[in-house]
Amino acid sequence: MKLTGFESASIDPATARELRFAVEEFNAEYCAVLDSGEIEQWPDFFTEDAVYRITARENADAGMLVGLVYAEGRGMLQDRAVSIARTQMFAPRTNLHLTGNVRVLAQQQDGEFTAQSTFMLLQTLVDGPTTLHLAGRYFDRFVRQGSRLLLRERQAVYDTTMIATDLVYPV
Amino acid sequence: MAWTRVAATEEVAEGEVVGVTAAGQQIALYRDKGEFFATGNVCTHQFALLSDGYFEDGCIECPLHQGSFDIRTGKALCAPVTEDIKVYPIRVDGDDLLADI
Amino acid sequence: MFQSQAILGRMAGCKNPDQIDDHVWPAEGLDSIPDWVYTSDAVYEREVERIFHGRTWNFVALEVEVPNVGDYKRSYVGPTPVVVSRAEDGSIHVFENRCAHRGAEFCRSSRGNNKEFVCPYHQWSYDLKGNLQGIPFKRGVNKAGGMPKDFKNEDHGLKKLAVATRNGVVFASFCHDMEPLEDYLTPEILKDFDVVFNGRKLHLHGYYKNEVPANWKMYHENLKDPYHATLLHSFLVVFGLMVAGNESAMIADGKYGIHGTMASAKKEDKYAKVSDDTKKEMRSFHEGMKLQDERFLEYIKEFDSPWSVTMQTIWPNLIVQREMNTLGVRHIVPNGPNSFVMMWTMFGYEDDSDEMTRHRLRQGNLMGPSGFLGLEDNEALRFTQEGISKSTSDQSVIKLDAGNVGTADSLISEAAIRAMYRHYREVMGL
Repeated sequence: MKLTGFESASIDPATARELRFAVEEFNAEYCAVLDSGEIEQWPDFFTEDAVYRITARENADAGMLVGLVYAEGRGMLQDRAVSIARTQMFAPRTNLHLTGNVRVLAQQQDGEFTAQSTFMLLQTLVDGPTTLHLAGRYFDRFVRQGSRLLLRERQAVYDTTMIATDLVYPV
Repeated sequence: MAWTRVAATEEVAEGEVVGVTAAGQQIALYRDKGEFFATGNVCTHQFALLSDGYFEDGCIECPLHQGSFDIRTGKALCAPVTEDIKVYPIRVDGDDLLADI
Repeated sequence: MFQSQAILGRMAGCKNPDQIDDHVWPAEGLDSIPDWVYTSDAVYEREVERIFHGRTWNFVALEVEVPNVGDYKRSYVGPTPVVVSRAEDGSIHVFENRCAHRGAEFCRSSRGNNKEFVCPYHQWSYDLKGNLQGIPFKRGVNKAGGMPKDFKNEDHGLKKLAVATRNGVVFASFCHDMEPLEDYLTPEILKDFDVVFNGRKLHLHGYYKNEVPANWKMYHENLKDPYHATLLHSFLVVFGLMVAGNESAMIADGKYGIHGTMASAKKEDKYAKVSDDTKKEMRSFHEGMKLQDERFLEYIKEFDSPWSVTMQTIWPNLIVQREMNTLGVRHIVPNGPNSFVMMWTMFGYEDDSDEMTRHRLRQGNLMGPSGFLGLEDNEALRFTQEGISKSTSDQSVIKLDAGNVGTADSLISEAAIRAMYRHYREVMGL
C-alpha cells in the first residue's frame, strides 16, 4: 500500500459509496471496543495473517519500516492485548477516537479492497485535561468474511511526531 | 543567434555595467578599458541581476552573495557560484552596440 | 499530555530556590539525592553550561543519516539546536542553528540536502561547513549603504562545534580542546559500544520521538538501576523472560563513573525457570503464561559478546540499546528541569537478511514509547517527577548495596547511581 502522497481512487463511485458506509460502520465498532477499554477484543477485527503497524509520518514518507507497534499476525496482536490488559504498568486513562474522511480506493477480484481514513485519539489522565494525543491516517486493506469486514492490514500513520510521554493502547 | 542592437555606446560608460533586455533576454553590458563585453544578466546561483553588482578588474560580482564571474569568458570564479554565465559576442557599429543573441 | 499541559502543575517553591547558593546537598552524601537536582531552574542552567556546553562529547547523529555531500540533519546538543552537515570533502560539520545576522533558526526541515544554507530572512548564505559565504548587497546599491569596508565574512560565520566520529556515530562538543572521543568513552564502555558499532554499515529502520515530563537525569538513573527491572517490567516476569537470578552486570566506567552498561545474558531456554522464593518477591509472576507468537523471544547470537542485552548510558545525552537483536540509539534533549525529549533512531545493518530485519522490527515491540518495557519507564519517571514536585519531603533515598560506588556485582544495587552523582557534584560544584 502507498503510505505517502495522494492516491486516487480507482474504484467506481457506486461501489465506493457502499463500501465507504461499511468501513465507517467497521471503524465505529473498532473504536467503540477500544474506547470502552475492551482491549482483549481488539484482535477480533483482524485476520489471522494480519499486519498492524503504528508509525510516524516521517517514517512512512521515507519508506522506513519501524513501528511503535509492529505486529505480524493475529498472535502478536493478542500478545499485545493481553500484555496491556493484564501485565503492563501505566497510569489509568480513558481514550476517545474520532474518525472520518473515509475514502475507498481500489478493489481486487476476490473482494479485498483498500481504504483510507483519518483518526484523532483523545486521551484523559486522572486530574488531567483531555488532550489530542495522536492524530493521523489509517491505510487499510479489508477482506470480507461473510457479512463482516476484517482487516488484513492496518497502518496507522501519525502526524504527532512528538508523542506526549507514551502510547499505551493501540489506535 | 542573431545580431541585435542592444544599446548606444554612450550608454555604457568606462568601468560601468548596464542591464538591458534584448531579444527577450536579460543582458549585462560592460565597458572595460575601452572594450565592450556582454554576458547574461541573471546570476546562475539565485535570482539577482549582475548589473546591480560590483564590477572591477574584469570581474562582475553578484550583489546577492558576492559570487564572481569573469566577464570575458563567463567563468564562475568563486563560491557560491559554480555554473558559468553565458557570454555573447559583441561589436560596435557606429554609435551602437550589437550583440549576437 | 505534555508537561506544559498539566492542570495541577505548579511546583512547590521550596523545590526551586532562586539562588544557586541555596542548593545544599544533604549531609547523607551519596546515600541520598536532594529533590532540587530534579526541579531547580538554577541547577538546570548550570547543567547546560557545565555539562552540555562543557567538557563532554554529545551524540548528534549517525553517519548513515547524512550519507551524501550536502545532506543535513537538525539536531540538539543539550537544549541547543544545531545542524549536522556533510561537506563537499566528505567531512561532517556541526554548527549552531542560528543565523549570524539576527539570530533566526534558519534550518527548519528535519533532514534534507542542499548546496548551501541560506537564511530565509535576509538571504545570508553559508557554505556546508558553516562559513559565511555571501551577504546580499554587501557593497550597497548604487554606491550607497552596504556593509562597512572592514566587515570580514570570516568573523561572522555560524558558531561551530568540535566533531568526532566513531564507527558511524557522530558526536559534537562546544569545547574545542576536548580529549579524544575514545578516551572520553573509556575502555569499559567502548567494549560494548563497539559490539553494536562494529564498522558494519548501518541501515535505518526509522524514528520515534516523545516528550517525558521528568528530569533528564532520571533516564540515566533508570538505566543504572538494575533493581527495577523485574519489579517494574512485569512483561519480563509474567512471561518468564528475565528473572532476578539471570547472569548480569551493572558496569560503571572506571574513570568518571558517569557512563554505564547494564548487561544481561539470556539463558538458552525461551522461558526462564523461576525459583519459588523469587516468585514470591515478584509481584506479577503468573504461572504458565505463554506468548502466542514466540518468535519475539528468540535471541540470534550475532556478536562476539557474552551478553544478550546491553543498555549503555553515555553521558550526557546518549543511550545505546542492544536488546537482544533490536538495536537503536536514544538521544536525550533536556527541556528545563521538568521535561526532556527522547529521540529514538532504530537501525539494523545493511547486510541483514530480510528475515533478520523483520525479526529486529518484531522484537522492537519491546522498546520505544509503546514498548512492552519502554512504556513503563516513561510512566515511572513521570510519577517520580510529579511526586517530587509537589510533596513536602525533599530528598530520595539510595541505600541499596551501601558503601559501593561504581560497578556492582549484584543487580540489587544503587552503586552506579552513586557514582553518577559523585561525578555530577564535582562538575557542578554542588
